Amino acid sequence: MLRATSTSDARPLSPASAWAAEVAAVFVKDWRCEFRTRYALNTLALFAFTTLVVVSISLGPIGIDRARGSKVLPVLLWVILLFSVAAGLPRAFVQEEESQTATALRLSATPSALFCGKLLYCLTLVGALELLVTPVFVTLMSLKVESPGLLAVTLAAGGYGLAVGSTLVAAIIAQARTKGTLFSVLAFPILLPLLLLAVELTFSAVGGGGGSGGVALPQLLLYDASITVAGLMLFPVVWNP
Amino acid sequence: MKTLFAWLLWLWISLVIVGAFYYAPQAEGFQDGSDRILFFHVPMAWASFAGFIAAAVWSVRYLMTRDLRHDRSAHVAIQLGLLFGVLATISGAIWARIEWGAYWNWDPRQTSILISLLFYGAYLALRGAVEDPEKRARLAASYAILGLVVTPFLYWIMPRLTFSLHPEPVVNAEGKPKMQSEILQVLLASGVGFTALFFWLHSVHTRIQALAERKSAEME
Repeated sequence: MLRATSTSDARPLSPASAWAAEVAAVFVKDWRCEFRTRYALNTLALFAFTTLVVVSISLGPIGIDRARGSKVLPVLLWVILLFSVAAGLPRAFVQEEESQTATALRLSATPSALFCGKLLYCLTLVGALELLVTPVFVTLMSLKVESPGLLAVTLAAGGYGLAVGSTLVAAIIAQARTKGTLFSVLAFPILLPLLLLAVELTFSAVGGGGGSGGVALPQLLLYDASITVAGLMLFPVVWNP
Repeated sequence: MKTLFAWLLWLWISLVIVGAFYYAPQAEGFQDGSDRILFFHVPMAWASFAGFIAAAVWSVRYLMTRDLRHDRSAHVAIQLGLLFGVLATISGAIWARIEWGAYWNWDPRQTSILISLLFYGAYLALRGAVEDPEKRARLAASYAILGLVVTPFLYWIMPRLTFSLHPEPVVNAEGKPKMQSEILQVLLASGVGFTALFFWLHSVHTRIQALAERKSAEME
């Protein structure tokens, strides 16, 4: 039962605390389900690892020279992250429809709490993916990062945008027929501006950018803010029949 | 009244075509004759963008009223937006081949219009994947509004992020169009004409779709 109650049962929780407890309950429930099947974790990790290996083998034992690498490798990093996200994140809502638990979830959690709970779950998955992929990618490709701080901020802001956009699109496609392919079709036009901004910032972080990093970061943060507000406003419409 | 509007529209567009070839002078900095494409390319891009905005407005109206007529209008606006967007992309590519030597070179504006075409395609794919009309309308409206949130990044922010060979738009950063007045007159007249053409086609297509839906409901 996701509806939050106080531990003593005598004192009801304030609306804000009840909402936060609902968010936490959705988040914990999702991770509990995830640890039972490990579907998203395995998919994300294996997909990312496979693409990393393919990219590394394709570039050969010598790799790529630094001048070209700083132009090409940031793109490859974000392509790996984007496709890994597309492989694992739609599961957040698709599993609710497939296991026929969506109706129970509609009854037991408010839409905003459900959206934030699912978003937190997706955020932790994307964060784990970035923590796994980025160091291996940097090591395997011998990528020299001039500004690790900027790279970390880019990964955080880019990962957040990926998680928000994916959460909302996953809620949409969960109610459609062709779920798997439809996620990529719907998510990519929404996520491409984020991807282009993140790639631009990663160029700057590895020292290959054209100096637009300072402009791109506020724009990326603006994108994150816009998509979060849109997600919070649209999710109740998407979720409730 | 509708017939009169259609005839006036035909006359207006005909005058724009004549004006584009015989009234407007050769634009400075363009290869001989290539600037004529822009009298049609730019208004088609405007009309495509108008489709985007109109679809989002009708989607908001659908979510507020749950009237399926607004959903039908949003759907038709996206279909026409896609048509005008494809025509703008093709005409732009032909112009780019003449001026820049290549049909496609990932100029920020080419990237922006391509992403918006992907968005239109995705909207139509979503509609095709949901059978229930109410659910389809609800999900499609949400997606159209989500697209509108991303639009400013496509049309205004990204093209200014990197270097672009694309000529400055009429509505530029300085707020002053940098072109001869005759060229501006024809371009604005063409913009009005193509926007009116968009909404005339929208009205015809919406009525056709309403009739088709009524007929299929009668057959069921």
